[in-house]
Amino acid sequence: MVLCMFMIDVRGLRKVYGDRTVVDGISFDVEDGEIFGILGPNGAGKTTTVECIAGLRRRDGGSITVAGMDPALEGTEFREAVGVQLQESRLPEKQTVAEALQLYASFYARPRDWRELAERLGLLEQRNTYFGRLSGGQKQRLSVALALVGNPRVAILDELTTGLDPAARREVWGLLEDLRGTGVTLVLVSHFMEEAERLCDRVVVIDRGRIIAADTPEGLAAGVAADQRMSFVPSAAVDLTELQSLPDVYTAAVTGDRVAVTGSDNVAAAVIIALHERGIQATRLRVDQPSLDDAFVALTQHDEPAAETQADVEPESHPTAGAAR
Amino acid sequence: MSATAPDLAAPASRAGRPGSAGATRAMLRSEARLLARNPGVVVWSTILPVGASIVLASIPTIRKPSKDLGGLSFFHVYQPILILFGITLLAVQALPDVLTRYREMGVLKRLRTTPASPALLLFAQLALTLLVSIVCTVLMTVVPALVGASWPQNGAGFVISYLLAAWALLGLGLLIASLFHNAKVAAGFGTLLFFVVEFFAGLWLQRPNMPNWLRHVSDFTPGGAGAQSLTDSSVGHWPSLLHLVVLAVWGVAMSIAAIRLFSWE
Repeated sequence: MVLCMFMIDVRGLRKVYGDRTVVDGISFDVEDGEIFGILGPNGAGKTTTVECIAGLRRRDGGSITVAGMDPALEGTEFREAVGVQLQESRLPEKQTVAEALQLYASFYARPRDWRELAERLGLLEQRNTYFGRLSGGQKQRLSVALALVGNPRVAILDELTTGLDPAARREVWGLLEDLRGTGVTLVLVSHFMEEAERLCDRVVVIDRGRIIAADTPEGLAAGVAADQRMSFVPSAAVDLTELQSLPDVYTAAVTGDRVAVTGSDNVAAAVIIALHERGIQATRLRVDQPSLDDAFVALTQHDEPAAETQADVEPESHPTAGAAR
Repeated sequence: MSATAPDLAAPASRAGRPGSAGATRAMLRSEARLLARNPGVVVWSTILPVGASIVLASIPTIRKPSKDLGGLSFFHVYQPILILFGITLLAVQALPDVLTRYREMGVLKRLRTTPASPALLLFAQLALTLLVSIVCTVLMTVVPALVGASWPQNGAGFVISYLLAAWALLGLGLLIASLFHNAKVAAGFGTLLFFVVEFFAGLWLQRPNMPNWLRHVSDFTPGGAGAQSLTDSSVGHWPSLLHLVVLAVWGVAMSIAAIRLFSWE
């Protein structure tokens, strides 16, 4: 914290497989104690990036510093400081939770008390259960526990909740929220925007090996799609051209019996007042804030890096996307 | 660097030596426990050779020297073949099966993220496989002697021959685990290799009955060199230098190739 300003500092990271550049000049930094999200579509280079940070792959260019160390040197000291949860990494079917935790704790000089960790992760009841008999959520919680059992300063968690049902996903998220403020710096790799929105202090979005956006989840959501969306079922027929002529309205469209409208911040009030004046009621009204999901779709759909092209994001292309959620 | 030293240097300097001894013990204990819970392959690999050697030893005519076998008894020829049967099954079937599974499951890759090396797991597996094989070999030597067969007349030669043969065959098993990343393919190839090794050891056509040219080929295989060294030792001779060198060369070559080609993921 004295010399090293950041817990993780990545500058111009490059990784090439054959003639394919998988990671093409990625730079970001993560502060001590932060929960940092790396987002992006499948095959964007997220896993390669974190595997370089974790010292599991040799980088072809750029520099990485983690807790003041270079992961490429891969010393014991580095392994002590960095815990990693890998995508799709299993344990032997007949290893119990307690046995796995004790075994992995034995690798570290200053491990956490595995019982405390199991209790914190809600695995104490399953401590004598075989890995093969755990539910998906329990397996992932054990995976998190193994990444943390060495008392690391940085934990890298790759696609932690992929393949989990919604309840198990929320269970794992709750656990990570509890870890906030315990001094561990967390790097989450995800393609679930809801996950990043809920947990991350800051995120980067990677697409085709480059960072296309970096911000807080709220900042990203607000920056990309500034439009408000609303939808409702009118009590009588609505004249769409009349709605579109309102100054706050950008677009209006009908899907089935539902009318979807996009517009400025003020659009909801403006539309309801205009309808009221014609004696029409807006029932089953829904108003959606733009979410990180929308931002993600908008960012990764465009061919060009979308950093300065926020105005081009056309909500018309999915008029009911907001309502469908 | 110096600024972060109080936090980082202390655990790291302690981690190296005392920590890794604890990790080795923990890994051995863990792998032994898993083996005990999944004994299928190991029991299957050992029950047949152990049972067969005991049955053969308890039949008096099989213990008598036979002219057809160049003055050796049937037991003297078959005990080494059965001992090799046991090591070979463990080495080319059980060992690659476990290791390729661990690679498929990502256990080896996960170990890479810890201060312990995945080589620790390899070491634990080799040690346990060797231990099981030693127990089998002791059973296949002691029980027949108790029911009337002779003890190996040259004990030191017998132990040296056994250990060199075990090294050559475990190296072969490790190489299979390096070459094949799919557990099923590795098991299939291991089975094929088992028949090759045992053929040259003389399971179907005993070495004294092989045509000269075939016996010369057999001399240079781990099966043939191993079987002949054990037979020589059990009747009181020293194993020939050629056979011991053949076993050692196989051991070195297989180990180097396996280490070069082994990948953790």
